[in-house]
Amino acid sequence: MKCYICAQMGKSTDAVAICIICGMGTCMEHTIRREVDVWEGGYPFPAKKLPKKIPRMLCPDCNASYKEG
Amino acid sequence: MSSLARRCCAEMLGTGLLVYFGAGAAAMTLMIAAGTDPATPFNIGIGALGGLADWLAIGMAFAIVIAAAIYALGSVSGAHLNPAVSIALWATKRFPAGDTGAYIVSQLIGAAIGSLLFAASAGMDAVTIGGLGATAPFPGISYGQAILAEFIGTFLLMLVIMGVAVNSKAPPGFAGLVIGLTVGGIITTTGNIAGASLNTARTFGPYLGDWLLGGNNFWVNFPIYVIGPILGAVAAAFLYDYLTG
Repeated sequence: MKCYICAQMGKSTDAVAICIICGMGTCMEHTIRREVDVWEGGYPFPAKKLPKKIPRMLCPDCNASYKEG
Repeated sequence: MSSLARRCCAEMLGTGLLVYFGAGAAAMTLMIAAGTDPATPFNIGIGALGGLADWLAIGMAFAIVIAAAIYALGSVSGAHLNPAVSIALWATKRFPAGDTGAYIVSQLIGAAIGSLLFAASAGMDAVTIGGLGATAPFPGISYGQAILAEFIGTFLLMLVIMGVAVNSKAPPGFAGLVIGLTVGGIITTTGNIAGASLNTARTFGPYLGDWLLGGNNFWVNFPIYVIGPILGAVAAAFLYDYLTG
């Protein structure tokens, strides 16, 4: 699989990841790795944040949307 | 996880809302029905306007405010809103003893504040006519029958909490709605037995409010709403663990 963003710019670069949200293949330069908080519990127990986070691979567009919430 | 102080604030707030809107609905029904002639000896005002529909309306007020409090505060404190629920979770080793004590004190304080705020909002008729929605055995109902009705009602409530919330296999997102509607259904059926409190704090708030503001003194009935709900909730939690063990 090739990097979609590079392909749009006329370059051919191998993809190293797939965006977890949109499924786009991205090269090392266009892949953003986010660490997402993991919560456990909820009614009838208080929710608590676990020390471990889950990695998420995102393309630049989905990362921007994710940041906006 | 939020600090114990914040979780206790959430319990206080949730229980206060439950008493203001739930017990407040019972008080308001009595205020609206004041002056009507009771059709049967079971009728003390609630039921005079629409029969069992009066209890359904009160039950729906409880259902909606309980669902709202669970969805709003469930992730903060667990939204127990009820000493019987906290004690049952502690008894089955799901909740720490220290937190349980703090939660119960917070629930009682919240219930008292909710009741006093309802009196402040609705005026003294809410105390003298509505009794702030206090629960008591209805005419012809003995102390033992009242405890049994509270036991059975809270047993069902806790069984549903175990099934839809504590059980990790339950589909997520439905707990607030289902638990609220369960309380509403129990109130509709058993309200005219002993008020269907199912919750020591829900009864404590109006009792304290009535006592402080010169209304009726109901304290002689308080053990009903300690023994029935707590035994019912603990029995349901242990039975659920046995059934699913």
